[in-house]
Amino acid sequence: MSSKQATVREKKLHARKKTLGQWLNQEHVAGVVCTSPFIIGFFLFMVVPMILSLYYSLCNYNILSPPQFTGLANYIKAFTQDPKFVKSICVTFFFALVSVPLRLIFALLVAMILVRKSKLSAFYRAVYYLPSIIGGSVAVAILWKRMFAMDGVINSILRNIGIQTSISWLGNTSTAIWTLIILAVWQFGSSMLIFLASLKQIPSTLYEAAEVDGAKKGSQFWRITLPLLTPTIFFNLVMQMINGFLAFTQCYIITQGKPMDSTLFYTVYMYQQSFEFYNTGYGAALAWIMLAIISVVTGVLFATKKLWAYEGGL
Amino acid sequence: MKKAFAWILTLVMAISLVACGANSATPAGSTTDSTAPSASTATAGNTNLSVIWWGNQTRNERTQAALDLYAEQNPGVTFDAQFAEWSDYWNKLATASAAHSLPDVVQMDYKYLKQYVENGLLVDLKPYIDSGVLDVSGIDPGILEAGSVDGGVYAVCIGVNAPALLYNKTFMDENGFTVKDNMTMDEFIALSKEVYKKTGMKTNVSYGAGENFIDYTMRAQSIELYDGNKFGAKSAEDFVPYFSIYENGIKDGWLISPEVFAERTLGSVEQDPLVFGSGADQRSWCTLAYSNLLTAFQAAADAEGVVELGITTWPSADPAKSDYLKPGQFFSVTVDSKDPEAAAKILDYWTNSLECNEILLAERGIPASSKTADALAPKLDSLQQKITDYINNVVTPTCSAISPAAPENSAEVLKLYDSLQEQVCYGKLTAAEAAQKLFDEGNAILAG
Repeated sequence: MSSKQATVREKKLHARKKTLGQWLNQEHVAGVVCTSPFIIGFFLFMVVPMILSLYYSLCNYNILSPPQFTGLANYIKAFTQDPKFVKSICVTFFFALVSVPLRLIFALLVAMILVRKSKLSAFYRAVYYLPSIIGGSVAVAILWKRMFAMDGVINSILRNIGIQTSISWLGNTSTAIWTLIILAVWQFGSSMLIFLASLKQIPSTLYEAAEVDGAKKGSQFWRITLPLLTPTIFFNLVMQMINGFLAFTQCYIITQGKPMDSTLFYTVYMYQQSFEFYNTGYGAALAWIMLAIISVVTGVLFATKKLWAYEGGL
Repeated sequence: MKKAFAWILTLVMAISLVACGANSATPAGSTTDSTAPSASTATAGNTNLSVIWWGNQTRNERTQAALDLYAEQNPGVTFDAQFAEWSDYWNKLATASAAHSLPDVVQMDYKYLKQYVENGLLVDLKPYIDSGVLDVSGIDPGILEAGSVDGGVYAVCIGVNAPALLYNKTFMDENGFTVKDNMTMDEFIALSKEVYKKTGMKTNVSYGAGENFIDYTMRAQSIELYDGNKFGAKSAEDFVPYFSIYENGIKDGWLISPEVFAERTLGSVEQDPLVFGSGADQRSWCTLAYSNLLTAFQAAADAEGVVELGITTWPSADPAKSDYLKPGQFFSVTVDSKDPEAAAKILDYWTNSLECNEILLAERGIPASSKTADALAPKLDSLQQKITDYINNVVTPTCSAISPAAPENSAEVLKLYDSLQEQVCYGKLTAAEAAQKLFDEGNAILAG
């Protein structure tokens, strides 16, 4: 009895007497300590601002004076009396639905070429990845603006190959959005790398068997490569679609929504409302509407996944 | 014990994270912590004042030098100087105001003054004027009035300007055109047409520049652009003359195509069609700017002085009614200042010290105090003298008081002016349709 008590006490004492090293070495403590910078950062810079923005979206808030609660007024305003909201949604959908598939097709095409073994393929992979790194930068956006200017390099190339043109690519309501789409398609590098990786995963035995059966290159692509790539295509599609909806820099620097709001991206409009017109509460509401739209689009993509993406093993 | 140590460790991490966040939230990327002023003023004797302004490289250097001189003359006063580009400046100030960390002294613009006063962010300087800390006796009452809202003085003018049509004098002389002062709108359009016919050179009429020119044309009709939280105009009809300039200009060919501006940064002196563009159809013989910008435009047009720019009044149906002196730039003291009296002293130094103004050299415009301006006049270079001459001899004899400051919701209306002007230039709207839209939508926005 007394000895039992003694051992229990000893155990307790022992437990208390752990050194700092031992204490830190406990699995749950080490985990929490090591991840704390991220967790704290996540709460401070993601969760708290998100909750605040949800609150602001229900308020009349102009940054300069304290927010006043107005309920759903901002959301109602967006859907009933803001033609620019509708316009910017249309522009953003057009941009995402055109640029993302084009970018994926382009990425796949280049990946198909680069998957072949050659001495320079590593070099080319790096070169083709470059636009993805620099493409989102302000410098490239400004370069793009100059390239598509009336006296820019695009027009002078066209003139040199005999097409007399002085079209203002950025000033024309039907061409301006395409300069942004081309810039987006040009940044195909990260999708390309993912395609490259999964192209290499396709067992060569399948192609060998197909060749024995007399299948041509074309049908090999349609019957073997593409079906086996569908999970990768799906992944790329979801990721790029979200990025497409959130595109900001290019539009903000190159066109600012001009001409006549034909390139007004949703995020740029949101920025204008929040920080140029000081309708910050309304801007926050627009942000939450965007979250809802992205959720729905992603949800639809996932729902249709089993209809076209191959999920079986090899 | 050890547990405590671990908690301290976590706490340190947390604090360092918070500190990072706090730093990025301070108004400018300055090295000094924004909490410094409060800490140092509390211990008395030493005062640290933060000052923020917008502008260009020349202005940054001169302002810094003037602040350094003040710090030298007043031991115990140190400065935390911050600056930003115009477009970032107001974002920075807005976020700083939300965090209650506005700098002590801020450069203020007429457009934003009312908004900042109505939100209770600026200090009424009247007590400091009454107690003699801030001497404004040299400032014309009309100019002082521009910095006042509802009887309180919230901003002190640090540079007087006037609307000014800057034009390529060399080009106009070579082609035998004369540009006279106080041109009427019809004379201006006739001249623009002739220039276009003879040389192919087009004209830029304040494209994408917000309210400045529409205000100017409304003044000619004796209508104030804003009347409280609505337009001064009684019907859409009043806006038609303004939009007609653009409708006819595009129709007759003398106005620059809006496509040209799609590839430019609006508001950039260096990209203005007056000084930049590869062909005559992308260039303008003039630009509607403000008088202090002559220095910057002259530098952009031609550093060696082969191209000479001229300065005259903006065109208007009634130039005498339209013209005004613009107290272009102000300094204000904010409510977040721990030592508003010390801040008010800076404003006094800026207004009355000749030494200070000898450093600044009227870069923000002519000093508001006529005593200082007169003393400074002989020290200015020929370009600055040209500006002074223009303001004193061309504008001042006929000008009337500036229109009341824009109401709080005007930022969105500014975008509306530009957007409607754009649609008229693209031929999507007629002048009458644009006027109607401006009247309806603008009034709705202003009413909030």
